[in-house]
Amino acid sequence: MPSKVVSFKLNGREVEVMVKPLMTLQTLLREQLNLTATKAGCRQGGCGSCTVLVNGEPMMSCLLPVEDVEGQEVTTLEGITPAEGLNPLQEAFFEKYAIQCGYCTPGMIMVATALLAHNPNPTREQVIEAISGNFCRCTGYAPIIEAIQAAAQRTNGRK
Amino acid sequence: MTIPEETLNVVGQSVPRRDGLGHVKGQTVYVDDINIPGTLHLKMVRSPVHHGKIKHIDFSEAEKVPGFVRALTYKDVPKNIYTILCLIGVGPDEEPVLAEDRVLWKGEQIAAILAETEEAAMEAVSKVKLDIEELPAVFDVEEALKPGAPILKPWGTNYFIYDYEYGQQNAFRKVRFGDVEKAFEQADYIVEGRYDSSPIEHAPTETTACLVKPEPDGRYTVYTNTQALFFTLDNAALILQIPFNKLHFVGGTVGGGFGGKVDVITEPIAILGSMKTGRPVKYRYTREEEMHVSSTRSAWRIYMKDGVMKDGRIIARKVTSYADSGAYNRHTPYAVTKHAANVAGPYAIPNVWIDAYCVYTNHQPCSAMRGFGVTMASYAIEVQMDRIAETIGMDPWEIRFINAYRNGDIKPHQKVVEDATLIEVMKAAAEMVGHQLPDRLLAMNSWDRGK
Amino acid sequence: MATKAYFLPTSLNEAVSLLAEHGPSLLVMAGGTLAMPLINEGVSMPELVMGLRRAGLNYIKRSDGVLSIGATTTLTQMLNDSNVPFLQEAAHHVGAWAIRNMGTVGGNLFAPPPSGDFAVALLALDAKVKLASKKGTRTLPLTEFYTGFLTNALQPGELVAELEVPLPKGKTAYIKYGRRQHNTPAIVTVAAHLVMDGKKVKDARIALNAVGPHPIRAWNAEKALIGAALDAEAIRAASDAAAEECQPFTDSIASDWYRRKMVGVKVGHALAQIAG
Repeated sequence: MPSKVVSFKLNGREVEVMVKPLMTLQTLLREQLNLTATKAGCRQGGCGSCTVLVNGEPMMSCLLPVEDVEGQEVTTLEGITPAEGLNPLQEAFFEKYAIQCGYCTPGMIMVATALLAHNPNPTREQVIEAISGNFCRCTGYAPIIEAIQAAAQRTNGRK
Repeated sequence: MTIPEETLNVVGQSVPRRDGLGHVKGQTVYVDDINIPGTLHLKMVRSPVHHGKIKHIDFSEAEKVPGFVRALTYKDVPKNIYTILCLIGVGPDEEPVLAEDRVLWKGEQIAAILAETEEAAMEAVSKVKLDIEELPAVFDVEEALKPGAPILKPWGTNYFIYDYEYGQQNAFRKVRFGDVEKAFEQADYIVEGRYDSSPIEHAPTETTACLVKPEPDGRYTVYTNTQALFFTLDNAALILQIPFNKLHFVGGTVGGGFGGKVDVITEPIAILGSMKTGRPVKYRYTREEEMHVSSTRSAWRIYMKDGVMKDGRIIARKVTSYADSGAYNRHTPYAVTKHAANVAGPYAIPNVWIDAYCVYTNHQPCSAMRGFGVTMASYAIEVQMDRIAETIGMDPWEIRFINAYRNGDIKPHQKVVEDATLIEVMKAAAEMVGHQLPDRLLAMNSWDRGK
Repeated sequence: MATKAYFLPTSLNEAVSLLAEHGPSLLVMAGGTLAMPLINEGVSMPELVMGLRRAGLNYIKRSDGVLSIGATTTLTQMLNDSNVPFLQEAAHHVGAWAIRNMGTVGGNLFAPPPSGDFAVALLALDAKVKLASKKGTRTLPLTEFYTGFLTNALQPGELVAELEVPLPKGKTAYIKYGRRQHNTPAIVTVAAHLVMDGKKVKDARIALNAVGPHPIRAWNAEKALIGAALDAEAIRAASDAAAEECQPFTDSIASDWYRRKMVGVKVGHALAQIAG
């Protein structure tokens, strides 16, 4: 079977890509489109470093064939980084030292983005549950949880 | 002389991380983020058995896989046997880059397959036929040292030989201080303990990886997430028998190391692959490999026997420790040396005997991890201290205050104690948790025994 | 090998036709949370793959006290839209947010032990599985779908199309005991559904996960409760029976010894919860 052409919206722009059968969204982003903010920690859906948003919902891009996102809206960290400066979540992560090696950071920020879009004022428990699919081996999670709550406060619980 | 606080611009301040912006924007470049057109993927054929003799390897089916480029065996490696600590005088060399006639652990690398795509490489690996005669394996450190255990090292033992360069042949790292047996006879109590720990995998979120690019001027650029750039460069050059300046290592961005990315494992074979094909080569561990292949913290077994007086003084400590190095050295001989220097603890004990073994078994090889050699020693020491306190009926804070070494004390390995702070730290800790220490202990300090 | 073809049928008819055409060389997946890790790792190298995300099999219909759930309904959909607290609780305990957005109700039937923490709740509700093929459909109880360790009653050409789940008539309790609170494999999961007749137990379903080759019913524990008052003695008897009849295994999460012990404890907790 030859490669297929798939069209979808990526970070707000319509894109058309050619993919081999079963190529994952993770591989497409990282190897074909050079959008490497989405990471590859395990390729098993276990670490969350590959998290992207599909129609605003977090999904593991390492488990998602590109053809499955035909016509859908995909958002990566590149898509929510402003041209200048940082968005509130990025700012909070940076200031609260919610980053050490940085490898889990993109996944964490994507999940946190979806969380705050659904729930602008999450409790600490809700933050913990939201990020339970994202593994961090460096920070011990506490600064990440604080950063997400701080970002929520900064946007005053508004979307 | 104290430095006035007003002149301090960095000390005592919270300084933003230099790499912080890159991290939160997803712009930090990790090895696997680098894509070079024409890159070949390297996948390893690994031993399916714990211990075996390699009789034959058949690549014929693997070669037929579309995208297969070539296989590398030990015959392709200029200096196949090495040991990473050779750079600090540790020897002899004992680990193969690619297995020759034997495999010593399940997962050991036997042959490298280079292919146009990762899928092709994985398929080719699955089609390599291995003829291995399985041999008896040993997994317990004490069993490995008993007569009759399968011998793993070419020099005929299952232990690292210390001090061979000084003409001695010690089966262990040896510390002798005073006379423990005489002290045991004088002691009011004998307290014994056995402490075992399991191997621990670092499990960094980013797996071990390197990407080698051949340059037009004959050098090789190696993008790697090793924690030890120069160390790895030197070892790679020695293995490949090329001048050091042929290699240009680019790194320092590590997605979690913790000691798990200090072994020279992916780079030499990936560079060799690039040399043999003229193409860039990427070798990245899968999560399975990171768990089952990459080095772990070693398992330890520590036997402690202490002679203790009624007044709480520990007058003798005899320690026999075994580190399970797994199949190869890596950093463990060094871990055991550190262990021997620290397993008496931060305590002034006048009679100490330590035998610390670096033992080989058919386990996954172990190496560095966060305080390796000393971390498990701390665990054993402190549980032992609590055991002693319980045995003689003394408060566990008090037993530590009494025995803490002071400046000027001699440690068992003949170093003089300087800048001791255990007592001050314990006082601060007690205050933090709201524990009121008796005045007698509060009066103590690290620079003299007072009273 | 690299997969040669990936099919995304847009109807159940198309899906079963592809299955009939390609037979066992076609790997069927829905959310991809079970199949893709194996493919990515090179453990599984299927020539042909069929994804069911677009086959129109994600729906939740309610009629006459029965929930008809399409096989590719995601666990997030169960959590948000099913309005059955027992099933919402179960869905909540599978994986994490992103996994629930991808993992499906049907897929959970194929999850190897100790996974299966959603299916165990279906067992406790006497769920039935509707299998579809080019020849038609057939329905069988979930208890008969599981035939052994990683084996099931699917015949060649069949796929799981729908789950028929009677709404609970009595009180339910769902307890998952893992090493962490979220996103954790089970040491043991208990799903209980009891129908009372006054103070006595009229009907009991106790399903256990992670203590067998697949989610299982604790038949003897259930028998011990029928006709009894739900008091401490009956709860003790049922818990002991469950601990004895389960078939725990040792893995990196827990030993068989510990799993068996915790069956006794957690069944007790679940029944106590129902007793109120």
